[in-house]
Amino acid sequence: MSNISAWRLGARDALPLLGGYIPVAISFGLIAVQAGFTAGAAVLISTLIYAGASQFLFIAMVAAGAPLWLVIVMTLLINARHVVYGPNLAPYLPSGRLWPWLMHGLTDQIFALAHTRLPQLLESQRLGWYCSAALIAWGSWIAGTALGAVAGAEITARWPLLGQVLPFALPALFIVLLAPRFTSWQWTCTLGSTALVALALKLAGHSNLAIPLAALCGAVVFYLLQQQATRTEAQHEH
Amino acid sequence: MSTEIWLTLLACAAGTLLLRMLPLLWMQRHLRRRDPVRQGEAMPLWLTVLAPTMIAAMLGVSLIPVSETASGWLATVLASVVTVLVWRRTRSLGWPVCAGVGVFGLVSVLALLSM
Repeated sequence: MSNISAWRLGARDALPLLGGYIPVAISFGLIAVQAGFTAGAAVLISTLIYAGASQFLFIAMVAAGAPLWLVIVMTLLINARHVVYGPNLAPYLPSGRLWPWLMHGLTDQIFALAHTRLPQLLESQRLGWYCSAALIAWGSWIAGTALGAVAGAEITARWPLLGQVLPFALPALFIVLLAPRFTSWQWTCTLGSTALVALALKLAGHSNLAIPLAALCGAVVFYLLQQQATRTEAQHEH
Repeated sequence: MSTEIWLTLLACAAGTLLLRMLPLLWMQRHLRRRDPVRQGEAMPLWLTVLAPTMIAAMLGVSLIPVSETASGWLATVLASVVTVLVWRRTRSLGWPVCAGVGVFGLVSVLALLSM
């Protein structure tokens, strides 16, 4: 596969993300303008912070007049889950000064895609694939924000169903990324319980805690099952 | 926006970038010190477990439909099943997502028409 093909593959892999990113970005643009930010400021927030949940929190807290140090702390706390993404990709990233800066594009979804796709690519193709996928995702987030800030109210009024249907692209993408990992009883229990805990936490209103807390619960399940398997194996040997 | 809010925005942006960037630099340094042939084994086990569980958690969170009605949940369940079935058949990334979104849309439209 040539470098151009890697860029093309990255673009194709990132396409499902648009279904999830654009409707949420439109909502963000609309809410930011309603909260008193200009369209330009909303676009700049999406360009620079580029992290969905924390951006909504940023505008809500600033609009409510919260202390600005608290805005920074809360934004970073919500984004703290990102600390496990880079290290997991590190073995697949060739050396280069560009890579650390490219981590700006490492959202939840790009991480999920990259964690599956990068090991399948040659080292020389990884930069092209990552840049292509990350740029499409980033671009769609910025464009969606601009669209929402300028015409969000009109769009949501005219096509209300679009905003309900397109976001299913994200769970569908995660299903496809996870499906090959259901390779054993241990992984099935771990991943199944993680998804259920995250779902329950979100339904209970703990949106910001749901991902890191559920992932930790899943890791605990994994270790418990492994411990049990090791114990059973030891008993059989005796 | 006032200067203070601009500075807050810049601090949030820089902090978020560092949260994404510094752990990568730390792990790259850690891996460089190890045998390059056995890099996979140099990764701490907890980190390799946490990566798929993070993706599973993202799935759980994203499964909640925008409209939390009976038809919204029905569309989610049916579209998820179709996504898995199409993935089993094609083993590709794009087609299962397209099929899932298509079924979700179809169920949503049918629910709307039956009201």
